[in-house]
Amino acid sequence: MEPIPPPTADNGNLVPVPLGELFPLAADCERAGKLQQANSLLGHILATMPNQPDSLHLAGIVAFRLGEHERALGLMEKAIEVGVDTPLYLRNICEVYRTLGRLDDALRTATRAVELSPSDPLCLHNLAIIHYERLEIDESIACAEKALLMNDQLPGAHFELAEALLLQGKWDRGWEEYEWRFQIASAAPMMPKTTKPQWQGEAFDDETLLLVADQGFGDVIQFSRYIPWVAERCPKLAVACAAEVAPILKQIHPGLNLFQKWDEVPPYRAYAALSGLPRLHGTRVDNVPAPVPYLHASPEKVAVWRERLDRLTPRGFRRVGIVWAGRPTHNNDRRRSATLAAYAPLFSLPRTMLVSLQKGPSADQAGRYFGRAPFVNFGAEIETYDDTMAIIDCLDVVVTVDTSVGHLAAAMGRPAWIMLATAPDWRWLLERSDTPWYPTVRLFRQTVARQWGDVTQRVADGLREWFDPATSPRQIETAS
Amino acid sequence: MNSLATQLCPCGSGLRTVRCCGLNTAALPPAESTRHLVPLVERALQAHKQGANDTAERLCLDVLEMAPDRPGALSVLYQIRRAEGKMQAAEALLRRLVNFDPNNFPATNELALILMGKGNLGEAEVHARNAVRIAPQNPQAHNLMGMIMTEGQRPRVGEYHYRQVLALSGQRDPILLANLAWNLKNQGRMAEARALYQESVDAAPEIKQTLLGWARLEEADREFAAAAEKLDKMDKLWPNDAAVMMSRAVLLGREKKNDEALAVLDAVAKQNPDGRLGPNELLEKGRLLDQMGRYDEAFADFAEGKRLARELSGHVYLDQQAQELTNRLRNFFVAGRLKTLPRAGVRTDVPQPIFVLGFPRSGTTLVEQTLTAHPRIAAGDELPLINDITHLMPRMLASPLGYPEAMAELWMGDQRAGLDNLRDWYLQKVEQMGILTEGAVWFTDKMPLNETHLGLIALLFPESPLIHVIRHPLDIMVSAMSNHFTHGFFCSNALETAATHYMRVMDLVQHYRSEMALRYMPIRYEEMVDDQEGTVRAILDFVGEAFDPRCLAFHENRRYARTASYAQVTEKLYDRSRFRHRHYLEHLKPAIERLGYSVD
Repeated sequence: MEPIPPPTADNGNLVPVPLGELFPLAADCERAGKLQQANSLLGHILATMPNQPDSLHLAGIVAFRLGEHERALGLMEKAIEVGVDTPLYLRNICEVYRTLGRLDDALRTATRAVELSPSDPLCLHNLAIIHYERLEIDESIACAEKALLMNDQLPGAHFELAEALLLQGKWDRGWEEYEWRFQIASAAPMMPKTTKPQWQGEAFDDETLLLVADQGFGDVIQFSRYIPWVAERCPKLAVACAAEVAPILKQIHPGLNLFQKWDEVPPYRAYAALSGLPRLHGTRVDNVPAPVPYLHASPEKVAVWRERLDRLTPRGFRRVGIVWAGRPTHNNDRRRSATLAAYAPLFSLPRTMLVSLQKGPSADQAGRYFGRAPFVNFGAEIETYDDTMAIIDCLDVVVTVDTSVGHLAAAMGRPAWIMLATAPDWRWLLERSDTPWYPTVRLFRQTVARQWGDVTQRVADGLREWFDPATSPRQIETAS
Repeated sequence: MNSLATQLCPCGSGLRTVRCCGLNTAALPPAESTRHLVPLVERALQAHKQGANDTAERLCLDVLEMAPDRPGALSVLYQIRRAEGKMQAAEALLRRLVNFDPNNFPATNELALILMGKGNLGEAEVHARNAVRIAPQNPQAHNLMGMIMTEGQRPRVGEYHYRQVLALSGQRDPILLANLAWNLKNQGRMAEARALYQESVDAAPEIKQTLLGWARLEEADREFAAAAEKLDKMDKLWPNDAAVMMSRAVLLGREKKNDEALAVLDAVAKQNPDGRLGPNELLEKGRLLDQMGRYDEAFADFAEGKRLARELSGHVYLDQQAQELTNRLRNFFVAGRLKTLPRAGVRTDVPQPIFVLGFPRSGTTLVEQTLTAHPRIAAGDELPLINDITHLMPRMLASPLGYPEAMAELWMGDQRAGLDNLRDWYLQKVEQMGILTEGAVWFTDKMPLNETHLGLIALLFPESPLIHVIRHPLDIMVSAMSNHFTHGFFCSNALETAATHYMRVMDLVQHYRSEMALRYMPIRYEEMVDDQEGTVRAILDFVGEAFDPRCLAFHENRRYARTASYAQVTEKLYDRSRFRHRHYLEHLKPAIERLGYSVD
């Protein structure tokens, strides 16, 4: 047999390490996030012992974390084959299948993992996630609850339960479970460590309450509606937020103190996350405060953008704003984002101009658009949400996947048609095509996971019907 | 002594390099100090006049060794080298002569003619304009401008100068009349052109170029019988003449008599000393074979035609230049910078351009012919103006930088209107070209590859529709192989370079479209063929004009399309050129790879 070049430990010296000691080294590297190193160590082991199940499995995990999903799957499938139904392997491979959209395989392996290891709550947790994604919400809740019976301190299972309950509209219980999101180990902390308590809704007017504009920008737009309600209880407010959403928050409540740096935040008595306000408010599906429109474009900006748009729009053409992808770092981005190409049914709408509001790495797809409908790409020119709002003000409708632009149009009371993945974010509830959060939103739900073709077709059909020339543009505009 | 000092100039003048193409003009002695050489120059002139060329040459070389700027000696040596056929040396000497003696009309005239003969119209124009400056009343000066403007696709300007020749000379020279006729034919004024050919031939019945031009006019105007009659006459006067036979083959091809056309070309080949065809004949033959379904032979002729063209013209794709320009454009036109640049305002007092963009052979002629059948859209054809602006820009904006970086001047307080000035220059040129017709509110500019300058165009004409004609790239490649065009840094001289340039330009367009909001509409050639009315309606909708049924009968639009596509656009929309590449997949392999496809 060919001698294997001697691998070395991570301590810089070149002392060869016996093969048997390599695996723990690799496992350490994986835990420490040194993925390339783990990868190379596992490569050495597998070169000599290509069927070593633990190494195959760990190499699969490393490959998965490196973003090489197909390779990960190959390694992990082989690990299961040679390792004969090891529950750990099954528990982990189901997550790879889920990521790749192979939900049947995910369900099969996750179920098998639970059968083999009925007392492992993590297996049940994974199964709960898969059921959620398959839109089997009752099953998802059952699995999460069962996992929590075994160990009620599992934040992931609580969070999964929260999402499922919220999606079903069982918000009272859902909000309580939703609080566990801050405990999830892998979640980025919302704010620096503090000894101050979380606000519980009590009123005080002598000290400052700190609000944290947490989660994505869409959440900030959606939950900022609660700020006036908070201000009635605690008039001295400080809001920690990203610079991008500052123009939005300024509109919500006059004189709001906004902070973009933690060290500038004044002393405060208690803090609350914007995403926690529905719980404190006691929001139910039937009492959602929806003071729409609560965001407005600046008239000066509108004048500038309207002139530009008018110049670029062929006479008598409708203007449909489109966004096809969200922020790629969102953990569900793979499911919620589409491609411009998936919007093909809109490309042949008669007398319609498409206006791209797409920002970020997917924006360059605009350059490859060759559809029939005129297409104007404002993505590169939009600098702030103020620009986006001004453009939205000049559009007939915004068609988007589940992104902040949808929230923006909706909060402005403009028609927003939002396309959702089969298993959507909890806030959009189940089945309905409207939402208690925003009166001008129309929801289009995916019927087959990760397939947008029929969804965009329904959107196009809807627009065609709506734009019927027999109906005048004034009449069809929804409330504003 | 170093070798440079003794070396003879590689141009072949017979002078040392340092006295010829490597001359340092700053180090020249003042003309006064070499006046004693004047008698030598006079002797050289005398000798040359008497045919004693050896003596004349010797004297010129001696004089120019001491005084490299003596016009008389340069002139005589130029004539000697030219007579010897040493064109490189002749041109170098003539350029120096014009440089040192800028008011020398005959030399300027001669240089303009040489440059025009080489196809270097840009430089030829510079000298032709000088000729008019030197001698505004000289018919020949205007004749130069007439020829160069006609060749340079500005026939209205050319017509003006030809008519100046007629007025200044007080004569109706038959060759001039034929030149004017050719000019009018290029403007689509067929009847006027025909009458002038008639007058020219009545006065001088046996001038081959005149008769050939007339035959081409009739052929382009689909008067095939009249064209054949001219060619028959020429056959009798000049039996087996290659140019006449080539015209015959083209005519037979248009009449779909492919076998006969092929036989004529074979006969041309046979009478050539090497038994082969020239580049143009080879492409013609390839096109005939293609029509006949003999694809492998056709492609072999295309490839050979391109090879010969490269060999004869010396033109190869200017890869570096093309790459440099596209990189600079890509770096300049980015969203961040575009925010800081002004846009030209939109003029409402004159017709506005519709840009028909696309790679050569994409169907731009078809789209233009269709659109310009509309009464409110005038036909501008291939306007060289955007390209001209890229050259003019540094001067007009008083910038030390080139295009596109010269637009940095737009940040200066005194150049904020710079783009408006460039826009007005463009519109004024358009007006001078006489392309604007009564009732037109638009005109087309279908210069291929203008999409390279999409960013500039959008700054100059922010509201103008940008119609980008796209077509299956492999079909474009087949078409690029079967036709000559010089657009795009000579990329069409080889299959691979055509593919490279295509990719470069398409990537650049994608870049512009990602960085800017454009009034841009892509039109697929294939859709135009499939659904002509739908496509035309969509374009007119986009432009903002009402549909006009005349656009569908564009092949009855008698306006002659000057470009290589003229024969196709006079046929009803045809299916044959769609996915034509399927016959050539094997031959297209190098292009396919470059275009990022794979052969399935």
